[in-house]
Amino acid sequence: MDTSSPSAFVNGALLRRYIGQKVRTVVQVIGSDNGSVVGKSTDDLQIVVRGSSPPSPLTTYLEVIGIAESENAIRAETLTNFGNTFDPQNYNELCKLANGEFKHLFI
Amino acid sequence: MEVNLTAGAITKMMNGEIASEKDMTPVLQVTELKLIQTKIQKPQQNQEPNKDRYKLLLSDGVLLQQGMLNTSLNGLVEEGIIQLGSVIKLTQYVCSLIQTRRFVIVMQLEVIADICDIIGIPGQVGKSNEPGQSSINQQHGEAGSVNTQSIGGFEQQEARRSELNGGRFGVSADLPQPQVGGQNNPDTGRYGVSANSPQPQVPDVGRYGVTASSPQPQVSQRFGTGSGIPETAPSTRPYVSSNAGYGGSRQEQPRAPVTNAYSRPVQSGYQPQQPPMYVNRGPGARNEAPPRIIPIAALNPYQGRWTIKVRVTSKGELRRFSNTRGEGKVFSFDLLDADGGEIRVTCFNDVVDQFFDLIVVGNVYLISRGSLKPARKDYNHLPNDYEIHLDSASTIQQCYDDDAAIPRNQFHFRNIGDIENMESNSVIDLIGIVSSISPTGTVIRKNGSEVGKRALQLKDMSGRSVEVTMWGDFCKAEGQKLQDLCDSGVFPVLAVKAGRIGEFNGKQVSTIGSSQFFIEPDFPEARQLRNWYEREGRNAPCISISREFSGVGRQDVRKVITQIKDEKLGTSEKPDWITVTATISFMKVDNFCYTACPIMNGDRPCSKKVTNNGDGTWRCEKCDRCVDECDYRYILQIQLQDHTGLTWATAFQEAGEEIMGMSAKDLYYVKYEHHDDEKFEDIIRSVTFTKYTFKLKIKEETYSDEQRVKATVVKAEKLNYSSNTRFMLEAMDKLRKGDASSLPTVKPESSNYSSGIGTSGARETTSVDTHREFGLPAANQVSQYGNQYSSNSRPLGGITSCNACGSNGHVSANCPSVMSEPQGQYMSGTPGRYTGGGMPRQHVGGY
Repeated sequence: MDTSSPSAFVNGALLRRYIGQKVRTVVQVIGSDNGSVVGKSTDDLQIVVRGSSPPSPLTTYLEVIGIAESENAIRAETLTNFGNTFDPQNYNELCKLANGEFKHLFI
Repeated sequence: MEVNLTAGAITKMMNGEIASEKDMTPVLQVTELKLIQTKIQKPQQNQEPNKDRYKLLLSDGVLLQQGMLNTSLNGLVEEGIIQLGSVIKLTQYVCSLIQTRRFVIVMQLEVIADICDIIGIPGQVGKSNEPGQSSINQQHGEAGSVNTQSIGGFEQQEARRSELNGGRFGVSADLPQPQVGGQNNPDTGRYGVSANSPQPQVPDVGRYGVTASSPQPQVSQRFGTGSGIPETAPSTRPYVSSNAGYGGSRQEQPRAPVTNAYSRPVQSGYQPQQPPMYVNRGPGARNEAPPRIIPIAALNPYQGRWTIKVRVTSKGELRRFSNTRGEGKVFSFDLLDADGGEIRVTCFNDVVDQFFDLIVVGNVYLISRGSLKPARKDYNHLPNDYEIHLDSASTIQQCYDDDAAIPRNQFHFRNIGDIENMESNSVIDLIGIVSSISPTGTVIRKNGSEVGKRALQLKDMSGRSVEVTMWGDFCKAEGQKLQDLCDSGVFPVLAVKAGRIGEFNGKQVSTIGSSQFFIEPDFPEARQLRNWYEREGRNAPCISISREFSGVGRQDVRKVITQIKDEKLGTSEKPDWITVTATISFMKVDNFCYTACPIMNGDRPCSKKVTNNGDGTWRCEKCDRCVDECDYRYILQIQLQDHTGLTWATAFQEAGEEIMGMSAKDLYYVKYEHHDDEKFEDIIRSVTFTKYTFKLKIKEETYSDEQRVKATVVKAEKLNYSSNTRFMLEAMDKLRKGDASSLPTVKPESSNYSSGIGTSGARETTSVDTHREFGLPAANQVSQYGNQYSSNSRPLGGITSCNACGSNGHVSANCPSVMSEPQGQYMSGTPGRYTGGGMPRQHVGGY
């Protein structure tokens, strides 16, 4: 397993902790144009995803792996369609656990 | 030793003021004690042979009252603890009005003094002791006879009685209960004749005249009975007059004044029914006259003939069944009488046709004849040890003039808080405020039909709330009305009559066939509740007793596989029902199905194994028939694995289909008809190493003297990761809050992960309420979603499940597989999600 470049699970609020670092999150797509996607994070914050051309067509949910540029923007390296029935609430809980009590279990 | 008899007790008994120990526990003296032996058995009575009984006369110092000792107290007499002159306190007894006489049946007593001189000079009454007598003369006449008797006439009376016993009345006096004697006597033959034809009435009168002159109460009573036959009415009158007040007074019942009383409602009903009865029974065999109306409480198996005046409080639906004796149908209805007695009536087959349409809930009927059987308490919640089985000789006559003395309904309301400590399957009456109601969902019954289901939250002053599940027609009429009320922002008061307590991670209440709902009823309890709700109940915290207990009792709980062994599941009397999330790690593919008999037996196929005759037909031993084409049913042997261990399990037809995603027949054809091994392998591979949520029935069974714990899959669903994750998050949350009690205890070495598995609890009553507090349709929708959401969030923890057949979606009390009860209904878990399924069919013994 490649642990050289870990990506932290984040939601919208946690993004600011990882500015300049690699993160992964899932957003609900609100709109996209010219290689950027505007999405809603699992904790209902707006995130702008740039850098990588989004897959087409986009599904409702999109996983984003990339570098946190600011507290609401990610420069994407990988974009993956996550389907239309993703459960954002569970993901949000995962992000909180992975950055809180159980941080030690995650790299 | 100084003893005080309870003054006036007997007068009160006679007046009907006291009927049981609830009213009074009088201290009385035994002034006469007589053994009544059962010498002759009536064939239609199923009593044990030679059951002796003691008859006694009880005195309160002034009056005497006839009584009967319960046979369980015979020992007291035989050991001499009770003897002539004993002073006893009646601690459990019933004053029954048997025809016209009151009898005290003593069930329990305390001996105050073993022996004591007779106190006072009591006189016997206990004959025409009904209130409301009109003729003073008659009373005088009677009093006279009573006096004679009490001054030494008693021996004489008894002597005379035995004379009679030796002769014509042989049977009567020997019957175990006095009322039986009174009523069945005619059956011995002589009187039956007289009842049938007016002609022999005259000699009868003569004979009775003799009898009646002795203080032998049954006699005139018997005559009164006879007068019920219209034809004999004319001859009754002369009898009345010729016998002074004695017989006449007896006929003046409060409910049925004077002779013609008997020729009225009772009789008009009997008239049309009687001819066939005579044909059936043969002339002269019985007195076919309608007897007096007796209270339900006085019914017992030793009485052949009786009439009760009752209101039908509920009527079960017509059910068809099939058992080894063939097919049949059954329905039952519940009765209530003016004395508050309740009893269930059950009719089978032809009798169903006879009476089904006649019975309408709320109407008053006179019901006569039928046998009393011990109540099947599993199915019959009424507070009566017996139930009535009607037969072709039974009569039901509607009383068109409503009797206001018979209440429309009788409630025994309990607090919702009490439910926590009540047994599952008990039937209770509740009254509470409906705080929310879910939309109707449908559940597929095992027989393929659909049934509606919806749930509501009911709370009361005990500060508890409970989920009440409605089934079938309740969803429509009552459900819609409640929904409308809730939508309009009202929290309606709901009285539930006869709801059944179910148990799954807590308690809930569901409707059964005899349940009734009363929405915004107008009685004191409802008004009290409404006041409470307006004052404080609306904002009072309310704890739901549904779905929040775990770790106690036999419930459907999440387990891990090693817990099957560690906790010795299945080794208790009843099977354990558990839910596990596991992967199918191996599957035996050689005999995944068997050839089954497709012949319909009732509403289900027989499904027994059929053998190939070699000529293309299949033979079923059970049906003893051959069929051209057989069914194929799964019998899958699979190995389940989770993070703690492995276990074998068997999945039959329905569960097999759920696992394989195709019918056994299709799979059989792939492998054995088309010989498409590659496709077959693909199908098997697609199933193995797939995670499912299994509901398992764990039960220890014995195979050739070897005990083996067997796991049967009763339900399998592909794992829903989203809901499973929610479930785990919830469990983790609980764990962090230290609420470990809600988690199944797993041995530490089993796994750390198992801590993630627990029973989800949900206490959303208040929150639901809060949603609705914002009111009105839109908000109510929110609450509905809230409900659905919450149930979806714990499909693994809160599955409604059946202890009997194991399928999700109903509880055992209402399990279609044990539906031998006419009342049963089907239940399910959360709406629309758990649809039927479950165990392979089970034969229903039942009727």
